[in-house]
Amino acid sequence: MDWAGLLTDAGREIFAPTTAAFALAAIGLNFHFGLTGLLNMGHAGFMLLGMYGYAITIREIEANGGELFGVHMAAGAEILLGVLVALVVSVLFGLLLGWPTLKLRGDYLAIVTIAAAEMVRFLGRSQSLVGLTGASTGIRGSDFKRPFESVSPFPDRLVTVGPFTLHGSQSTSWWLVVVAWTVVALASLLFWRLSRSPWGRVLKGIREDEDAVRSLGKNVYGYKMQALVIGGAIGALGGVLWSFGNSVAPDSMGRPTTFWIWTLLLLGGAATVFGPILGSVIFWTALLVVKGLAGGLIPETWLSSTELEPFALVLVGATLMALVIFRPQGVLGDRRELAINER
Amino acid sequence: MSAKPAKSKDNNPFASINHEPGAAKIDPIITAHGIERTFGGLKAVDVNHLEVQRHAITALIGPNGAGKSTFFNLLTGFDKPQKGEWSFNGTSLQSHSPQKVARAGMVRTFQLTKALSRMTVIENMRLGAAGQAGERFWSALIPGLWKAKEEEITVKAEELLKRFKLYEKRNDFAGELSGGQRKLLEMARALMSDPEIVMLDEPMAGVNPALTESLLDHIVKLKDQGVTILFVEHDMHMVRRISDWVVVMAEGKIIAEGPPDTVMQNKSVQDAYLGAHHDTDLSEDLA
Amino acid sequence: MRTALDTRALVRAGVILVVTALAFTLLAAFQSSGGRGEAPTVAVAEASTGFVPLTDAGLVTVAEATDTTTDDATTTTATTNRFLQNLVNGIAFGLLLALASVGLSLIYGTTGLSNFAHGEQVSLGAVLTYFLVSQAPVSLPLIPTQFTIGLPLLVGAVLAIALSAGTGWLQDKFLWSKLRKRRIGTTQQMIVSIGLSLALVNLLQWWIGGQKVRLSISIDTRHQYGPIQIGNQTLMSMGVAIACLLAVSAFLLYTRLGRATRAVSDNPSLAAASGIKVDGIIRLVWILATGLAAVGGILLALYEQGTSFDSGARLLLLMFAAVTLGGLGQPFGALVGSIVIGIVSEVSTMWLPPDLKFATALGILILVLLFRPQGILGRPERVG
Repeated sequence: MDWAGLLTDAGREIFAPTTAAFALAAIGLNFHFGLTGLLNMGHAGFMLLGMYGYAITIREIEANGGELFGVHMAAGAEILLGVLVALVVSVLFGLLLGWPTLKLRGDYLAIVTIAAAEMVRFLGRSQSLVGLTGASTGIRGSDFKRPFESVSPFPDRLVTVGPFTLHGSQSTSWWLVVVAWTVVALASLLFWRLSRSPWGRVLKGIREDEDAVRSLGKNVYGYKMQALVIGGAIGALGGVLWSFGNSVAPDSMGRPTTFWIWTLLLLGGAATVFGPILGSVIFWTALLVVKGLAGGLIPETWLSSTELEPFALVLVGATLMALVIFRPQGVLGDRRELAINER
Repeated sequence: MSAKPAKSKDNNPFASINHEPGAAKIDPIITAHGIERTFGGLKAVDVNHLEVQRHAITALIGPNGAGKSTFFNLLTGFDKPQKGEWSFNGTSLQSHSPQKVARAGMVRTFQLTKALSRMTVIENMRLGAAGQAGERFWSALIPGLWKAKEEEITVKAEELLKRFKLYEKRNDFAGELSGGQRKLLEMARALMSDPEIVMLDEPMAGVNPALTESLLDHIVKLKDQGVTILFVEHDMHMVRRISDWVVVMAEGKIIAEGPPDTVMQNKSVQDAYLGAHHDTDLSEDLA
Repeated sequence: MRTALDTRALVRAGVILVVTALAFTLLAAFQSSGGRGEAPTVAVAEASTGFVPLTDAGLVTVAEATDTTTDDATTTTATTNRFLQNLVNGIAFGLLLALASVGLSLIYGTTGLSNFAHGEQVSLGAVLTYFLVSQAPVSLPLIPTQFTIGLPLLVGAVLAIALSAGTGWLQDKFLWSKLRKRRIGTTQQMIVSIGLSLALVNLLQWWIGGQKVRLSISIDTRHQYGPIQIGNQTLMSMGVAIACLLAVSAFLLYTRLGRATRAVSDNPSLAAASGIKVDGIIRLVWILATGLAAVGGILLALYEQGTSFDSGARLLLLMFAAVTLGGLGQPFGALVGSIVIGIVSEVSTMWLPPDLKFATALGILILVLLFRPQGILGRPERVG
């Protein structure tokens, strides 16, 4: 059992880009569920759409020799355009989803969002769109990562900081770590500002009882739509960040991904500013440590290495259940809220 | 057409009003006409004509299932009728959403109290205020645009909370209040936007008797400040004590109107109550 | 107010339809013109080879594809035949789906819970059966010995159904009834069921691995009835499904307990007030629902010639679509809804690529919510 190795891996997981990407996605979900009480069970759909939006835009420009409509684009401009497309696509998706369902009861939104997210995945992996999405194999990293990696100020080789060694610019790199956590910080700042504003107050009111808020003259539908769109757009950015460290693959953004985001949001504490970040850090580190410990301590005959992943995810599911039952406010939530047993 | 004076009170606006369903008022704030709402073939509301007098306390009573709450929902935009038209201050409110109705100056409360549990009492109050620019998304990002208004709102909220004896509770979660305190909070919150009319759906339901008196006082004081009140109530004691005018509904229709002390003598009203629960002792309700 | 069908909902539905249609057309145009050279042939080739990476009735689609290629002499009869074949497949699939969704609907009706773990109950039935009947060595999680039970299929299936129904009883006794007692809201309960689903699906994967396994190694004999081809196992599955559904219907309609169940489903507090033991009924519903799900899972495994740890999870959304379509909490609605969903998803393969047939079903779910949120057999809710 390599304790030092496990400790290093766990330490790396704390600041890994994946952790940041999921924290960002959870911040988006925090706008939905934490502030507004919207049951978005299709967050992975927003993330996947964001990835597609970014990766396809970049791939097409790159395939065109870095030109768009005959104008040569700098790497920075390509990134901006890609992010813009990702945002626009996710905003449209949010509008399309919210338009029919935000007037219906909450669990309808849950069913529709999960169905819509699966539809996105089905469409993405469908052979009939292979030219656009690459079907079930998705889009290779080399097709869309170049502009992002080319603007990296870090060296183009492995860099060791303390016990951690990552590449300077490529794939899961120091550059991605810095960018990802900066975006997370900005999104947290946005959440902090908005949740403490009168706008956030209206959303919290809707979370508690939307008819009451309606009776006070607020346009509940409009607010819910704003929350859905903003959270979805942040989720899409999370997807883009995630794809920088991996590739665009529709099946990695299925229902389990959405459920993980829910778990880590509830773990950290819904409606809190740092809940999503703390939740993501705990979630990924714990997952890694559990897998490491189980792999190291339980004999191979009892638990083979292929069984480690499902074993760890059984624990994730159990954690989600336990959290909702015993500590619905999460690690950072207000203890007084527990006393109010309503809804 | 016997126009007998309802109360021997000076310049009573109801002095010359006929005691009949759909009677025209001197200065109506709400006028409703031909409103029908059916649920699966059953006519829940079938109101031919109703006017509600401004600056008065009007009670809407009737046996269970008379359609009072549904009628309330229709007037405030929470439900849509199949037919009918109604206006508030002369402007039509037809097919208006609840928020537009509220912004027009007609604010309601609910039978099952809707305090926003996981928000503090003061936040509940602030939410009731109108015209806070910071409730718009882009303005919310810049505190400078709404901080001043926020202070103004807070001052007003604290005044109202003092009046409703909830000031000490201002930083508690609304979910921690007692049932009666939640009713008070809901009423105080409704007043934050300075409404012209407050519509109270069973304000006394589930309220501890010790609080009833102060609630009644608050309602009467509101009228003195020029707010019009329309309320649905089962408690006849309260209806008799504070209302200026009573409208009786049964089976969706308005069957009688009149001042509180005479309307219950009406034959059709007694029939309606008898028909609804003929084994109860009427003397309690109607005496 | 919120569930009422108004003109705005209709307009919305119309616009969404148009937007979706436009999006599809644009995508198709993008494919055929600029994008990639080989694009236009892709859709066609793929439709005729019946390439189905994830769909369930893969075998049937292949059969039906050969069908179209062989008799292209008269295109109209071919189209009719294909339609009939798809219709039969759809009804078969719909009946199996109904077994699962009736239970989901009963649970929703009596407890208000949208049970996201119901898909795992379907898989559990099939996986338990595999565990009991397989001739290959099997094992249990964390237990390092391999063994073979190898019961006959029928015995194994009955035992698996009983065990699955037992998990329903266990769940309600030790989880859901406690949550109800603690007055945990249905939203929170729903999230608990999501956690349970996540735990169970991974437990099943841990147990039998990620590969597809077969319950029966016998090769299915196919019969030709006029234009329609149907396998023995499919016929048997349909027969058992119909028998089970009839039994459940008879139970709900004609027995005291069944009527009490429907009463609880209609209005729990009223049922409690009229002396029905609501908790007992709910316990029964859990046993019934999980048992039916297991039956559905086993039959589906026979129909699809195999099962895997996530075969039920893939059905979950179709079940929700069926339940919503029929009207949330209406058991007979779920039955109708399932058959509609089954037929639509199979028949849609005539025009759409088969790997999109589930997407079609989900699209229908969204449309239903727009037009008639209360479902086919549901009643609009009263406000106030």
